[in-house]
Amino acid sequence: MAELRENEQKTLLALERLRGRGPVDQLVKVSGLAHAAVMRAALSLTTKKLVRTHERKQTAIALTKEGSYHAKKRLPERRLINSLIKLGGEASVDDVADAAGLEKKFLTIALGWLSRKDWATIKKKERVLKSLREPLTGNDEKLLSLLAEKEPLIVEDLSQELQKAVSLLKKRRLVKVSKKTLRELELTDAGWDLAEKGIEIVEEVSQLTPELIRTGRWRKAKLRRFDVTAPGPIIHPGKIHPAQQIIQRVREIFLEMGFTEIRGSIVETAFWNFDALFQPQDHPAREMMDTFYLAQPRKGKLPKKDVVDAVAKTHEDGWITGSRGWEYTWSADEAKRLILRTHTTAVTIRYLAEHKEPPVKVFSVDRVYRNEKVDYKHLAEFHQIEGIVMDKKVTLRDLMGTLKEFYLKLGLKKVQFWPSYFPYTEPSMQSTVYVPELKTWVELCGMGIFRPEVLAPLGIKYPVLAWGGGLERLIILKLGIEDIRLLYKNDLGWMRRTPVCQR
Amino acid sequence: MPALTLDRDRFSSFVGRPLSVEEMAKWLPWLGVDTDEIGPDYVKIEFNPNRVDFSSYGGVARAFRGLMGWETGLPKYEVKEGKIVLKVDPTVAEVRPYVVSAVIRNVKLDYDTVRELMEMQEDLHWGVGRDRKKASIGVHNLDAVEPPFAYTTSAPNEVKFVPLDKTEEMTLQEILEKHEKGIAYKGHVDWASRYPLIVDKLGRVLSFPPIINGELTRVDSRTRNLFIDVTGTEPNAISRSLNVLVTALADMGATIESVRVGYSDHVLVTPDLTPQQMELRVDYANALLGLKLSETKTIQALQKSRLDARRISKGVLEVLIPAYRIDIMHEIDLVEEVAIGYGYFRLKPTKPTTVTTGREHEVSAVANYVRQIMVGLGFVEAMNFILANEVDHYQKMRRKAGKMIRLANPVSTEYSIVRNDLLPRLMKNLADNKHQAYPQRMFEVSDVIEINEKAETRTERRLHVACVSSHPTANFTEIKSYVEALLANLDLKNWEIKGTKHPSFLQGRAAAIYVKGRKIGVVGEIHPEVLNNFELENPTSAFEIDLQRIIKTTR
Repeated sequence: MAELRENEQKTLLALERLRGRGPVDQLVKVSGLAHAAVMRAALSLTTKKLVRTHERKQTAIALTKEGSYHAKKRLPERRLINSLIKLGGEASVDDVADAAGLEKKFLTIALGWLSRKDWATIKKKERVLKSLREPLTGNDEKLLSLLAEKEPLIVEDLSQELQKAVSLLKKRRLVKVSKKTLRELELTDAGWDLAEKGIEIVEEVSQLTPELIRTGRWRKAKLRRFDVTAPGPIIHPGKIHPAQQIIQRVREIFLEMGFTEIRGSIVETAFWNFDALFQPQDHPAREMMDTFYLAQPRKGKLPKKDVVDAVAKTHEDGWITGSRGWEYTWSADEAKRLILRTHTTAVTIRYLAEHKEPPVKVFSVDRVYRNEKVDYKHLAEFHQIEGIVMDKKVTLRDLMGTLKEFYLKLGLKKVQFWPSYFPYTEPSMQSTVYVPELKTWVELCGMGIFRPEVLAPLGIKYPVLAWGGGLERLIILKLGIEDIRLLYKNDLGWMRRTPVCQR
Repeated sequence: MPALTLDRDRFSSFVGRPLSVEEMAKWLPWLGVDTDEIGPDYVKIEFNPNRVDFSSYGGVARAFRGLMGWETGLPKYEVKEGKIVLKVDPTVAEVRPYVVSAVIRNVKLDYDTVRELMEMQEDLHWGVGRDRKKASIGVHNLDAVEPPFAYTTSAPNEVKFVPLDKTEEMTLQEILEKHEKGIAYKGHVDWASRYPLIVDKLGRVLSFPPIINGELTRVDSRTRNLFIDVTGTEPNAISRSLNVLVTALADMGATIESVRVGYSDHVLVTPDLTPQQMELRVDYANALLGLKLSETKTIQALQKSRLDARRISKGVLEVLIPAYRIDIMHEIDLVEEVAIGYGYFRLKPTKPTTVTTGREHEVSAVANYVRQIMVGLGFVEAMNFILANEVDHYQKMRRKAGKMIRLANPVSTEYSIVRNDLLPRLMKNLADNKHQAYPQRMFEVSDVIEINEKAETRTERRLHVACVSSHPTANFTEIKSYVEALLANLDLKNWEIKGTKHPSFLQGRAAAIYVKGRKIGVVGEIHPEVLNNFELENPTSAFEIDLQRIIKTTR
């Protein structure tokens, strides 16, 4: 025999007290349990074959608005016949109605029923009523007065005659009928056996308390067994932003590969963002259309004069670098303009200007800005990854090898390298990687060796390998989102839904 | 990036061999162009702005032939000596001093070539001409006008002519005020007292550089002979533009004829297609590329890139660069030509031998500790832009706008300033998440930028952390517990929390956080008016800490 839970025991006891059978409503009263608890117990007791459930259809009737009016005043035909008898058994319709005080709207109905019930005749031409006898109280009237006393009534509990009257009153729209299912429980033989053995109710404990543990009372207490399959309330853990998770992974990869993280100003002078990287001042990329300039503060300071002069000369005629330069007049004022950096290379070149001794291996994963219309593919503010190797004998092929390893750590095995162009690197390359999930090649990092026109003015003597690219493209690939704008909307629904584990 | 759609059959005829779309798509990228779109009978390429010579079929085809080894070395272009003269009036010196010119004979134009010619001009205007400032090109129907020509100036209202695509005569002044090209480019001339003009023998206007040509010399598919002018402010830029253009036309089968450009003190015969000379050290190329190419192999690679070279001493080559390769400005550019001629696809990746140990930045380390603690406290990390706007940042937070970092050219009103604290964006995040289940607890650990007049960039980037807790029973006690949990786990000691006034927080429920006597942040219950401003209904408590102060204080 399966053990019974507290509510099941209480239900069994209540049934025993009701002599083995009773409707649920009554069991609720007797057991003191909630309706739902009794229903749940009934279900599990039925499965354990201790009780049987009987279902009974029940029809309840109640008065309609018109019905309760007539129940109070009596039926209109009764009111007519009573006053007709008082008037001597024969009178005109109007007189009878007047005497009865019958409302006009009920007159036709009343006349109809008078004749249908055979209580009176009507001479149509003279509109004269003549009573036939004093009629007995009909079942319909009895039912009506019963209903006036108590509503609703259960049809199945009524005598057969009264049950017949139900349909009559229903047709006259004096009562409304509703059906419901009534459940009754009955003890089975096994149930009786168990009840007769005696059920001692042990209080069930749902929450184990320090009190129970300390006193040892938990030994006597019955710990309620939970429905372990029932859904529990949802909890949302705190978590790191999904994009930040990927940023962290990329940082780890750089660190694993022996690179040191660098960090620099977001507001930058045009000098370090452009001029030091040999981007001519009249270059289209420097125009307002692509770069955010500051209105306040507007201008920054330039570095040491010798550095500025060397950069200026290199732009104008190549200085001593062997380059022909950009052949224009360089403006210090233009170089002082403050902007939101368009790439992290501004930080890199500042760092290299201060760290000229090889080897240097540095990286950054940081915010950059482009004055771009924001849409599903573009953001005005995004992250760039950048890696730099400066050493005595590094080559373009080494750069390819470094990238290959970097991609491999990101799970991207197939890489291709193409010739490309960047203003401050030569030779330059573009890399595409095969993304198995998308079954397609995607362009990721660009790379190259810093131009002599960049290195010489800063006194850097060894080749500098550089690669970089926007990170958001990789992030949306990894997270499987299509609209880049979702990334920084901080939609809690999305963040709560997105698993911490991203592989 | 500029683009060019290469029709398979037409491109094949330029290359001189039948090509399939597959072959084109396979090999074109090795020239350094992107294949943007591959169609049933075309390949659309994008090329880098330094390679304006790729703006024509001829330009791509000659490089393609070289890459495939079908024709290598310097392409030969002949310039026939012509008699046509372009006289330069000294008055142009004040507005647009330089001009070069060429005549093209027997060109076969059709709808496609006319369009290609126009696109090539636009690419040159952008890539070399700096939006027509340094150089701008005019291409004319030579047979509609009569030489000799003159590059001169005129007062704004002196001359009238019918500009291209119009039917009415307009003065130069009217063109600058009303014509769409005039409005777009007037900045290049409107400051001068006299405007540049090119006229023929009879004084008919060919062009008003750099604004617009005349309708008179319109080029269409019936045009057979062309007169080309390139004017500008920089002599090299105009010569280079002319060279790119005339070589592309020569590749279409036309003949190049020189023009005598007569300045007051000298005469230039243009175009000058003499190859540029530059030295290349073979060791230099090998060291950077990681190759061991011999002198001969290096020369062969250069020839495949349509350059030429000869050995002038041990390990040194003299390289001849065709006149259309205007992008080559340093020996390093020749190194890339070697690599392209050798084939990028043949370069095998190697691992550098540089050995170093990596180290994360201190600021990142602190940010990550903060992340760990805040996530442990049940907060979800938000990432917001540094770009912000005044309304959210000041007005809605009940703050007076202070001295802020403001963009000169914001792309939208949503992003017009740079934030100096994190909290306003977190409030906006709550406002955007009203439909999500509560409690809502979010934090951000990220950068803000403050004005610092002493700094080189007049600004200073600082790491902050801020957090918000929003739910029906959020209050000061709760947020104080959170902030103290954070401070304790950042290994700070002896912090003090003292009552303070702050417009964004409820008075009596706002406090300042001090460490070693320095104020590092604020904590409290958000003012109900701020909640109303963000249309929030739940009580919200918050804190913000300047972590930069802690980084400095602890180390």
